[in-house]
Amino acid sequence: MNKLFGRICEIDSNSHLSLVNVLSGNQVFTATLLEIPESAPYLKINNDVTLLFKETEVSIAKDFRGTISLSNRFPAIVNGMERGKILSCVYLQHQNNEIVSVITTASLDRLAVRNGDAVEGFIKANEIILMEGRWAE
Amino acid sequence: MISDWQPLLLTFKLASFTTCILIIVGVPFAWWLSSSSLRIRPAIEAIVSLPLVLPPSVLGFYLLIAFSPENFFGRWLDQNIGLHLAFSFKGLVIASVIYSFPFLVQPVQSAFKSLPRSLTEASQVLGNGKVRTFLCVQLPNIKPALLAGTVMAFAHTVGEFGVVLMIGGNIPGQTRLASIAIYDEVEALNYQTANFYALVLVVISFLILLSLYIVNRQDK
Amino acid sequence: MIQAQVKKSLKGQQGDFVLDISINIQQGEMVAIFGPSGTGKTTFLRCLAGLEQPENGMISVFGKVWFDPIKKTNLKPQERKVGYVFQDYALFPNMTVKRNLEFALPANNNRNRVNELMELMDIVDLENRKPDTLSGGQKQKVALARALVAQPQILLLDEPFSALDNETRCNLQDEIIRLQKIFGITCVLVSHDVSEVYKLAQKVFVLDNGKIKESGEPAKVFSHGMTSGKFRFTGELLEIENLDVLFSLTVLVGNQIAKVAVMPSEAKSLKAGDRLLLVSKAFNPMVVKL
Repeated sequence: MNKLFGRICEIDSNSHLSLVNVLSGNQVFTATLLEIPESAPYLKINNDVTLLFKETEVSIAKDFRGTISLSNRFPAIVNGMERGKILSCVYLQHQNNEIVSVITTASLDRLAVRNGDAVEGFIKANEIILMEGRWAE
Repeated sequence: MISDWQPLLLTFKLASFTTCILIIVGVPFAWWLSSSSLRIRPAIEAIVSLPLVLPPSVLGFYLLIAFSPENFFGRWLDQNIGLHLAFSFKGLVIASVIYSFPFLVQPVQSAFKSLPRSLTEASQVLGNGKVRTFLCVQLPNIKPALLAGTVMAFAHTVGEFGVVLMIGGNIPGQTRLASIAIYDEVEALNYQTANFYALVLVVISFLILLSLYIVNRQDK
Repeated sequence: MIQAQVKKSLKGQQGDFVLDISINIQQGEMVAIFGPSGTGKTTFLRCLAGLEQPENGMISVFGKVWFDPIKKTNLKPQERKVGYVFQDYALFPNMTVKRNLEFALPANNNRNRVNELMELMDIVDLENRKPDTLSGGQKQKVALARALVAQPQILLLDEPFSALDNETRCNLQDEIIRLQKIFGITCVLVSHDVSEVYKLAQKVFVLDNGKIKESGEPAKVFSHGMTSGKFRFTGELLEIENLDVLFSLTVLVGNQIAKVAVMPSEAKSLKAGDRLLLVSKAFNPMVVKL
């Protein structure tokens, strides 16, 4: 799974749901959670958290124009690839972090991704898990 | 056929007395040995087991000396309790108890030892004291070993010769046991009488052991 | 409240260590002592029951002191009102199921209690059977019923389900939850099984080398901080297979088989038999009414 370290910078919640913004480097990530600060005390502005999300939930776009519903959109450079028959791995360099994306090999070919390409990564807000503190291996 | 049943009856009387005393004394003793953490326990175990390895005549010899009215212990018994142990049936009983002690204590002790500790502990946690735990939990669960020990002690007493010869001599009706009678008759060349006693002992001993093995097999 | 401070030197497989823990348990709570074997879990339970004596500490149960070396108090196991379910069940082989239960009755107690418990645990049919003829699950039920006969103040469970197959274990865990609801009895469970602790306990103390390493709600202690992942299960890894650039894990969750795709770097550190925590967001699963 992908792990990004960050700090909570904004929380918006109703009775059960929260929308939490986390600043990682200078990129803001957004996560929707089925918990609220009252029931989950770690949800506090300026608290350290780790963002966790599966590689398969990271989408890639090249020369993307227009608007999209996905909340998390970040620039990255392609740093490597691993090609499989059905699925392929793309290693993205985002600021100081490596984010891995698993997409279909067909999409990899369609996008004609090359090493060093500038791309954009996308993650749905409800695919991000927040973990209190820093991930310890 | 010569049918003097007296030595045979005396033998079985001695074995019955001995076995009863052994159960009363030996079972609690075996339980104590199995649960004791005393430092001197190995020494006690060694003493209890001595009759297994010593020639019976050695034990008989020392008991005879101890029981003799000429010595302190024998005199003390004679004067204070009025017991004459040398060359008497009572002396035979005591000697047999000592001699057959390990045959009962050893299997019973090891059975107590191999009972899962949790059984005893479960009984304690359920509020039962030591005596109730002993009678209702520990004792019933070592039944096969207890039975084996009892039968072995009985059979062993029936078969003893050296000790009883040393301490009892050969007084008809008092100390003349079957095993001694056989020896005596052979000495006197009365082979038929000797054979009668011997045959009865063989048959009865066989039946006792047979019933033990049958009972133990049914238990499993 | 139950307060238990226990200090005792123990001999472990990796050398000697000191069991040194202090635990408070609220009335009616089910707490778990969790940790690998040989960390003093069972010793702690035995100290509570009075089967072993701590070198130092204090045990007081609902205001009554059970153990206090300063006041020279050390109640015998018979005087402590505990129910103890042993790992090997410790049913008396010479007694029938019913006799096993009756043996636990205090002298002046009525026998209805035994019948009630047998009905409650659904073991009436077994009343005349000897323990040797029972299956593991049945033995466990009888042991549980027997532990409850004398209406103990605490129920101590020492790895109660470790010898049972998965399905029986699940059923008996449900049974314990049910019994605990009925009697409201305070329980201390010793276990090395995450899913069991997760399912049964309201609070867990993680024991490592005689010390409490972590404590709290199982959901929190075992979630590795991933509390926002609401779809969370523990399971046992059965098989790892290579799929293209990913690996597939076959995981036994309860008695259901689940499949999970992970990256090679994650699969590398795993082997069959490992206990796993599976986490997903509450948003992911689709739901179909059965």
